[in-house]
Amino acid sequence: MVLADLGRKINTALVDLTKAPVVDEKVLDALLRDICAALLASDVNVMLVQRLRNNVKKSVNLNELGGGANRKRVIQKAVMDQLYELVDPGVQPYKPIKHKANVFMMVGLQGAGKTTTCTKLASFYQRKGWKTALVCADTFRAGAFDQLKQNATKAKIPYYGSYTETDPVAIAQEGVDKFKADKFEIIIVDTSGRHKQEAELFEEMKQISAAVEPDSTIFVMDGTIGQAADGQARAFKEAANFGSIIMTKMDGHAKGGGAISAVAATDSPIVFIGTGEHLHDLDRFEPKSFVRKMLGMGDMSDLVEK
Amino acid sequence: IFSFLKNITGQRELSAETLDPVLATMKEHLINKNVASEIAEHLCQSVRSSLMGKKLGGFERVSTAVKNSMETALKRILTPKTSLDILRDIEQTRAEGRPYVISFIGVNGVGKSTNLSKVCFWLLQNNCKVLIAACDTFRSGAVEQLRVHARNLRALQTSGGGVVELFERGYGKDSAGIAKDAISYATANRFDVVLIDTAGRMQDNEPLMRALAKLVSVNNPDKIIFVGEALVGNEAVDQLTKFNQALKDFSGLQNPRHIDGMILTKFDTIDDKVGAALSMTYITGQPIYFVGTGQTYTDLKNLRVSHVVHSLLQN
Ligand SMILES: Nc1nc2c(ncn2[C@@H]2O[C@H](COP(=O)(O)OP(=O)(O)OP(=O)(O)O)[C@@H](O)[C@H]2O)c(=O)[nH]1
Ligand SMILES: Nc1nc2c(ncn2[C@@H]2O[C@H](COP(=O)(O)OP(=O)(O)OP(=O)(O)O)[C@@H](O)[C@H]2O)c(=O)[nH]1
Ligand SMILES: [Mg+2]
Ligand SMILES: [Mg+2]
Repeated sequence: MVLADLGRKINTALVDLTKAPVVDEKVLDALLRDICAALLASDVNVMLVQRLRNNVKKSVNLNELGGGANRKRVIQKAVMDQLYELVDPGVQPYKPIKHKANVFMMVGLQGAGKTTTCTKLASFYQRKGWKTALVCADTFRAGAFDQLKQNATKAKIPYYGSYTETDPVAIAQEGVDKFKADKFEIIIVDTSGRHKQEAELFEEMKQISAAVEPDSTIFVMDGTIGQAADGQARAFKEAANFGSIIMTKMDGHAKGGGAISAVAATDSPIVFIGTGEHLHDLDRFEPKSFVRKMLGMGDMSDLVEK
Repeated sequence: IFSFLKNITGQRELSAETLDPVLATMKEHLINKNVASEIAEHLCQSVRSSLMGKKLGGFERVSTAVKNSMETALKRILTPKTSLDILRDIEQTRAEGRPYVISFIGVNGVGKSTNLSKVCFWLLQNNCKVLIAACDTFRSGAVEQLRVHARNLRALQTSGGGVVELFERGYGKDSAGIAKDAISYATANRFDVVLIDTAGRMQDNEPLMRALAKLVSVNNPDKIIFVGEALVGNEAVDQLTKFNQALKDFSGLQNPRHIDGMILTKFDTIDDKVGAALSMTYITGQPIYFVGTGQTYTDLKNLRVSHVVHSLLQN
């Protein structure tokens, strides 16, 4: 399995680094090559990987490296710091305000996990004591309303939608207005999947946004996405100005590198990760364990960030 | 003067020194096009082997030699070794008095149900009698989704002999059993085709992969089609490897089944980053039967190998 091998390789390279009498350009390059291979195999954007390698080289002063374990720590830290910088844009996500209506809008590519995540997020807030509701503004997908309805019913969360209305802007508006009137605090609007190549769909997304004026637009991304992540994320950012990202399907083998690319491209933080198909399968995003998993360093107690 | 010219334009032998930098660029280029990194690596190694020691003629550049060699390799990998003529296969099973059974499998959200419906549309255009079996008994709205599609497809059949019906038993029940009942029903009522929709599942989820292997071994479909999306990155490799492994390990059969072919979906969402097509065919050696190019019933095309190769190699 590729990544476990890479993780081992990286660790071996780091150990060799510790033992090498002199750490020169060549040794550093070899280590960086292995780390970059791990990142590419994890779907991080090609340009970002290049940038990371260059930044690490710039930040590590080979002459001041000293000996033994310290040099390994310095280089490891340089790499981890670059990666943390990639996953943490230093921007705080939206914090809902009590006793007022906070409107959330979920957008993303087809099949990313928006509808499933909507109910998970609603349940998350409801369990924390917020008055929460769901609006199904997907009028396109077959069975979309049934899907949301069944999920919301299981979670005991009020919902709004229609089997007959074909205008998603109208439903979104009606749903949000209704829940605002009923003093709901968290109103989550589900929208249909769309992609940047379909200009009409992006236009529709802008119209829904204009109608409901979300306090927070969340970009839902599939953890398995590859090199297309950067382009789609930028386009969604430009059209919908999302403030944060939720990465789904992280319960399996995927490393989620595509999401890193989206964060770096749009300066939006990842707030949650989806870790399954059930209601409670929503975890807060942990940058450190995310980066470790990506480098295949999950079980390396050796890893020390000082 | 002539010997001087000969040194410049004479036969140069390709060596590691001349090849490796060009191959490194090619590898990164392919990864950028969403080819899985280990596959990009294998391909570059393969090109390296075939070019090492060869002599470049005249003014031929190393990069051109590499590109040409890669193009040949890509064409070979992407061109199907077996052709699929579903309609002919269906005539065959019709003659045998049984329905042709196709199952759609894959991870979550890739487009199984939607593309099953597109395949159904195409079959209806060819006057087939199709039964859709709702064997996703888990996900909210899965049955209703197919119900809507069956209704739409029926409404679109204004002429011709195409007939479509949905076989469903709601939620919670055993998928393998529902598939079995659907096939019996289809046989008794002389359906030409049964399209089995299954729930999306992650390749490492053992209980779900066992359940899938059971559905396959109990019902022995004529075709097992893996549905994969063009957006997927390196995971394509792990998905296909593990799905095949599970079908083998959990089948309890002497001669276990494997993925027969694939549908590549969401091809309209990736611009020229078409690498997943390569990753999928490389790993399985099986053909891409159809490409999904949108969300409506007619958005089902055949794979155009030269188009994919061109997209992969262009800048
Ligand atoms: N394993 C796993 N499956 C997930 C996760 N999130 C969503 N899914 C599954 O992914 C599939 C697609 O989820 P949906 O919520 O329908 O995706 P969507 O973005 O609303 O899809 P469209 O509305 O068609 O664009 C479903 O089978 C979900 O159960 C996750 O975190 N883990
Ligand atoms: N743009 C585009 N979208 C597609 C294509 N094929 C399917 N989709 C969309 O992808 C989303 C998911 O499709 P589904 O058919 O529900 O996927 P699935 O694999 O059955 O999902 P689960 O059963 O939940 O695992 C829907 O919004 C579809 O309309 C395609 O070729 N292009
Ligand atoms: Mg949805
Ligand atoms: Mg489905």
